[in-house]
Amino acid sequence: MRRSYITIIEELIRFVLSVFFLSVLVFTLSRVAPGDPLYAYYGDRVEKMGTLEQEAARERLGLHEPIPVQYVRWVKNAAHGDFGISYQYKRDVKEVIAGRLGNTLLLGGLGFVIIFVLALLLGLFCAWREEKRADKIVCGIGTLTSCIPEFWLSLLLILVFSVWLKWLPSSGAYSMGAEGSLADRGRHLLLPLTVVVLGHLWYYAYLVRNRLLEETRADYVLLARMKGLSGKQVLYRHCLRNALPSYLSMMAIAFPHILGGTYVAETVFSYPGIGTLAYESARYQDYNLLMLVSLMTGILVIFGNMIAEILNERIDPRIYLKTEAQQRR
Amino acid sequence: MDVLTVKDLSVSFYRESGEIEAVKHVSFSLRPGEILVIMGDTGCGKSVLCKSIVKLLPDIAKIKTGQILFQGKEITGYSEKEMQKLRGASFSMIFQNPMTALNPCMSVGAQIAEAVRLRSPELSRRERWDRVIELLELVGIDRAKERAGQYPFHFSGGMAQRCVIAIALAADPAVLFADEPTTSLDEGMQEQILALLLELREKLGMAVILITHNPKVAARVADRAALMRDGELYRIGDTEEIFEEIIYNNY
Repeated sequence: MRRSYITIIEELIRFVLSVFFLSVLVFTLSRVAPGDPLYAYYGDRVEKMGTLEQEAARERLGLHEPIPVQYVRWVKNAAHGDFGISYQYKRDVKEVIAGRLGNTLLLGGLGFVIIFVLALLLGLFCAWREEKRADKIVCGIGTLTSCIPEFWLSLLLILVFSVWLKWLPSSGAYSMGAEGSLADRGRHLLLPLTVVVLGHLWYYAYLVRNRLLEETRADYVLLARMKGLSGKQVLYRHCLRNALPSYLSMMAIAFPHILGGTYVAETVFSYPGIGTLAYESARYQDYNLLMLVSLMTGILVIFGNMIAEILNERIDPRIYLKTEAQQRR
Repeated sequence: MDVLTVKDLSVSFYRESGEIEAVKHVSFSLRPGEILVIMGDTGCGKSVLCKSIVKLLPDIAKIKTGQILFQGKEITGYSEKEMQKLRGASFSMIFQNPMTALNPCMSVGAQIAEAVRLRSPELSRRERWDRVIELLELVGIDRAKERAGQYPFHFSGGMAQRCVIAIALAADPAVLFADEPTTSLDEGMQEQILALLLELREKLGMAVILITHNPKVAARVADRAALMRDGELYRIGDTEEIFEEIIYNNY
């Protein structure tokens, strides 16, 4: 067991501190940003309210106090599991999120796994066939797909597969009355998933390709070739191992990025997920909702980084020893 | 019979700017157990010559003319697969910087074991590991069992170079190419590595092509020496004669 209890405790402290700073930052920024949260709660009726009425409404929502006081109150409530109500939906924010979280996790999670595996395979393939015709074709197609705006691609897919061919549904997460059907869920997922994957895939695949090519020029590759290994074997056994830590670190950070990237697909395909919710909460100053969505994303990033760090230490012992040496100092 | 014969070998690099001749009509032969030192300035084509013999040239480089014979058999036209077999079994190479020549993410033992497995696939895991320890002991690594599990960054430059030599020896090579193996080491360590090479040559009887631009290194180990200049093998012969040439012409 490489990680001592001290390291685990240290990481827990780091985790709590990161969440604390993130919450302070999001709380403060959302409140100093221009806009009025009363619009989220009362809609256009705000314009007809008098100043006194608006002040009373702010007081009811707890928005009249200074930001630090509001923050302390929010922390106290959050510690008891109360994250407040959504101004827009007039419901507990946990309930609002819970109804959509599963959908986003399914879309974003599946998208992430597919991107992770495909990017690695494509990167490996291109590095293996460097500058050959196959590499050039894949690079060309990859660059082209990454240049297509996601909303345009979404509309194109709807036009072809939903309107012309009528093979796949154009919106929603499931058909009415078919909530439990896996096949129906799969059919609804296919188009938004394609958009999410194509929107991100080449960026990561190209990164893997370049990282691997960097490794193939390293001196240890010559020694490995001198042992009698083929170029392909060197790529898989040596270069990939050395390129993996940076790929894992990047993908750990990429998880919330890809999850956030589901927003366009969610919007165009009217897919009920967190992406649209995050956007709406920021746009309409739905503070409580914004706080919870941001915190969840932040926690995902921190967790992702921790997992990547643990995996990296297992792959590359230099990382573990560097951390150990820093701790000793 | 000579273990290696190179006849009229020319190697060129093809860049967008045009062709660059790195090795020009080089011919020499290597006797079994002999140490041939190739000297010359940086960029004169010494390393390219060695890499062209073992066919580890970059894609932009090509052998233009010439023949390479290993134990009397022509290998110039060998495919990559055939060369792989030869590299794993008959040719080995050690490099200038041992710290970058070893894979930083693999334990030294695992890297030697990989070479042992390629040379002797019939060995069991246990036998393979025994051979790793044996090789580490052969190149003078103390506490070989313990050190086999360590990573390259745990080793000093000299110790790492010993590990690279252990990898090279796993193939039990007929020819060992040593591409400036002492350049990145301090003088004390240089002497140790050269003494080790001489000792191993005595024990195992392999021929060595040693590349260096350090005349002291050449004088210490060479049976014969060669001088390269601008891609040409300018002179080859008795070490003393070559040194006289170097001093006389102020190379």
